[in-house]
Amino acid sequence: MATANDDEILEGFLCPICKADLKSASQLTSHFESLHSEEQDVLRSLKEIFGKAKKIILNNDDSDLKETFDRALKFSYQEHRYLDEEQSIGVSRSSTDYLKGVRSARLERYATETNKLLIRLDKLVCNMPSDPNQRKLHEQEVVPWLDGSSVKLCPNCAKTFNLTRRKHHCRLCGSILCHDCSLFLDINVARAIVDPSVAQTSNPPDHETSEKNGLRLCEHCYNLIELRKQVQESRNAKTVLVTAYEQMRSLMDKARPDVVMYEKMCQSLFDGETTYNLTDVNKMRGRIGKLAEGIDLLSKQIIAFPAEPGTRQARLQTAIRQAAAHYIKEDLLSLRKLPTEAQIEEVRRQRYERAEKQIQMERERMERQRDRMEEMAGPSVSRVESNQDDDDNPLLEQMNIIREYIKEARKEMKFEEVAILETNLKELKKEYQLQKLCNKS
Amino acid sequence: MNVIQAVKLYITRMTEESGPGMKVILMDKETTSIVSMVFSQSEILQKEVYLFERIDSHSKWDNMKHMKCIVFVRPTSENISLLSRELRYPKYGVYFIYFSNVISKADIKTLAECDEQETVREVQEVFADYLAVDRHLFSFNIVGCLQGRSWNPHHLQRCAQGLLALLLSVKRRAVVRYEAASEPCARLAERVRDLLRREAVLIDNNIPFNGEIPTPQLLIIDRRDDPVTPLLNQWTYQAMVHELLTINNNRVSLAHLPDVHKDFKEVVLSSEQDEFYAKNLYSNFGEIGQTMKSLMDEFQKKAKSHQKVESIADMKNFVETYPLFKKMSGTVTKHVTVVGELSASVTRHNLLEVSELEQEIACQSDHSKHLQRLKNLLSNEAVRHHDAAKLVALYALRYEKHASNALPSLIEALKTRGVPEHLVKAVVNLLEYGGAHARQSDLFGLQDAVKITKRLFKGLSGVENIYTQHTPLLKDTLEDLIKGKLRENLYPTLGGDDGAYGRRPQDIFVFIVGGATYEEAQCVHQINQTYPGVRIVLGGTTIHNSTSFFEEVKAAMQGVHRTHTRHIRNV
Ligand SMILES: [Zn+2]
Ligand SMILES: [Zn+2]
Ligand SMILES: [Zn+2]
Repeated sequence: MATANDDEILEGFLCPICKADLKSASQLTSHFESLHSEEQDVLRSLKEIFGKAKKIILNNDDSDLKETFDRALKFSYQEHRYLDEEQSIGVSRSSTDYLKGVRSARLERYATETNKLLIRLDKLVCNMPSDPNQRKLHEQEVVPWLDGSSVKLCPNCAKTFNLTRRKHHCRLCGSILCHDCSLFLDINVARAIVDPSVAQTSNPPDHETSEKNGLRLCEHCYNLIELRKQVQESRNAKTVLVTAYEQMRSLMDKARPDVVMYEKMCQSLFDGETTYNLTDVNKMRGRIGKLAEGIDLLSKQIIAFPAEPGTRQARLQTAIRQAAAHYIKEDLLSLRKLPTEAQIEEVRRQRYERAEKQIQMERERMERQRDRMEEMAGPSVSRVESNQDDDDNPLLEQMNIIREYIKEARKEMKFEEVAILETNLKELKKEYQLQKLCNKS
Repeated sequence: MNVIQAVKLYITRMTEESGPGMKVILMDKETTSIVSMVFSQSEILQKEVYLFERIDSHSKWDNMKHMKCIVFVRPTSENISLLSRELRYPKYGVYFIYFSNVISKADIKTLAECDEQETVREVQEVFADYLAVDRHLFSFNIVGCLQGRSWNPHHLQRCAQGLLALLLSVKRRAVVRYEAASEPCARLAERVRDLLRREAVLIDNNIPFNGEIPTPQLLIIDRRDDPVTPLLNQWTYQAMVHELLTINNNRVSLAHLPDVHKDFKEVVLSSEQDEFYAKNLYSNFGEIGQTMKSLMDEFQKKAKSHQKVESIADMKNFVETYPLFKKMSGTVTKHVTVVGELSASVTRHNLLEVSELEQEIACQSDHSKHLQRLKNLLSNEAVRHHDAAKLVALYALRYEKHASNALPSLIEALKTRGVPEHLVKAVVNLLEYGGAHARQSDLFGLQDAVKITKRLFKGLSGVENIYTQHTPLLKDTLEDLIKGKLRENLYPTLGGDDGAYGRRPQDIFVFIVGGATYEEAQCVHQINQTYPGVRIVLGGTTIHNSTSFFEEVKAAMQGVHRTHTRHIRNV
């Protein structure tokens, strides 16, 4: 195995985007500049990290400088203790129910009418004959046209009907109107409205809708149908952008607990605990790196979706990318540096020594106590060293089972579980030692 | 009673209530400021809010049905009609609407009628209706709240609504007290009381009556009772920055400085986002210089450079030539830039000398000496016209009734000096605004025997720091209030004294009609530290420096006949 120090350097020179191993900081930086040039934010933070990494390698640490800063900037929370009360959110009042009440009373009227129109629309577009005359008959069969013989003026614009201004009928309500007052609903659009499973043509048709490819409607009917269409569209607004975005967010949701776990594992290492080992923590770091990579990729996809510059859509895409880059930089790339194998050894050794000392003291104390008791009780039976065979001790068996479990959990990177099992194991060990101690005395 | 926290909690909930998804926040001019005071843009971005739109912008319609829209606006009639239009032709998929104050049923009905596409999911009133400047400081950003000595009706309404919102946002009931001699204070107090009554049910349902502690008090006082504090040069960091560079919604523009780095054309000074600032906003100018110097020394040791860092100019130089420093902390660089500019102003305009005289006029009593030094300073060309006018105004207030008052000749001196007309007028306006006739308190301690002796001692024994002798009148008022000694005849309780008087309030809201100052904010901060259990929140129609205060006074005196300064004929 390489030394811990080599490990450090190697890890530092992996490209965080494509994971290529570039062997040196300068090579990686130039790789990054040429292949991932749009990554300015990440690049900058990388350079900073390398600036520091190099110093660590050259044993030219600036950490006490950093400490001075932290000290100077440290906020003394004590100063604000008077405001530290637990503060709950202030008063608010909802009028949502009232609004919905007013709204539904109003929309109910529309709803019945819209439903009637939709049923008619469905009948109209279903099996519509292509022959114009046949089509006219079909239309009149679905919606009887008003008798217009006594109508002299267009009811909408009040202009006189004559040879050039002829009478027409709305295909949905049958009412009379002139051509200027007519609106046309594209037949394909109409089909999509009555049957949402038909592929959505959310973009308006590029050709002008006319009598031939559309349904002649009065303004009132047209508006009701249009409204219906918009409600439908907003419910089906799941675009590629939304899909990519949701994927990106789900990666972020995964990364969040991982980062917390990583911090916990790292701290545990620094504390000299044996719950996790360096490989565990490195794996965790790798997993977070993978997630960062995924988030980065998706957010780059998002910013690359076509959008006219300056529009809301373009600003949205830029902002999503910006937020993702910020998140990666602040939360995922700024993970705490791992201790080296040697550092861990040292902390563990110190911890072990402390524990040893404590046990030693405890033992001495007990011995003194026993001596005193023996003195009082006078000479007694000599102590028998019970060194009975331990192999079939159920505690030992239990411990072995748990060790297996830990191995499993570790393989699957279920570090929460590892922590719990390790605690169990520790308790069993304690129990076992206690037992032995009791047996001795 | 942390007002920043109160606003943050509301906004955070807005972003959460709409669930996951891409969001846009639609705001008006005022709510934009309200939000920007407590959150930075990157913080908001992390809450999935990607677009910030103004409800009054006329940009083109877009289909953005894949976004959720959080609307956060003040409940004005203009906003209701803009929002109606938005709902009739909705750009976004769903709408979560939050009004920053009470909204009428009729307005909600209007919105309901426009919502034909059923895009509205929530309509709520939340009470984040003030600018949270600091944890214990708020403002409504109104300069010139009085016009011709009485309230501009819009501003009166705005302040009353804002104070109602303040109480609801921190969940406090309060009795309302006001400065008896001030008509505007009485009007505002009544208006607030009316609003509180109208919302009695809301209050009863949400704010449990707490008999354990004395009823919180809302005290409304008038800037006219202490026109001196906003005139003084300041030496604590925040107050000094505001006086010399002007803080606007936590932002300071440095664009006017020659060769300022592009990152620092506008800097954000927010105690929530900037730890250095949070720690040092009440530090003395000298202390900050010291802190920075020790930081710099540390670097220097590292750099093994032989450069000496002695002055602030050296520091600036040093920072510019030490890139690591820049990298390590943009924050400190920012403050070095700001402090550097402050320091330059102090030297350029003789501010030490100016400030010393200001403090002595405000705190001591020696007419002939003060007059002589004032005349000397007026003939010093390094002193700005603005400071010259301020000094004369201070003199005018302090020695208004003095037998040998020399104001007309001082005004003559200002004119000879070439001080612009509006500044000369400002002196007289100020005397009309806050002269002895307008004050109910003993601002200069001329009647109180204790104060007279105290001042005498100061004069005899010298003072610890000649630049910080002055304490604002507010300090005495608040200490009286805390001790239950604030006199009911001078500061009556609306609806009569129901036993609250004499009890020592712990939760106090104090609002200054005519604007508060950062010096007063610091004073409140100190009182909060000194008196255990006491929590005071300070607010003002705005937060003044001397420049904006002159504007305030000008507006208040617009069209008012001079009645107390008629003897000054040379203006
Ligand atoms: Zn790469
Ligand atoms: Zn017509
Ligand atoms: Zn029709």
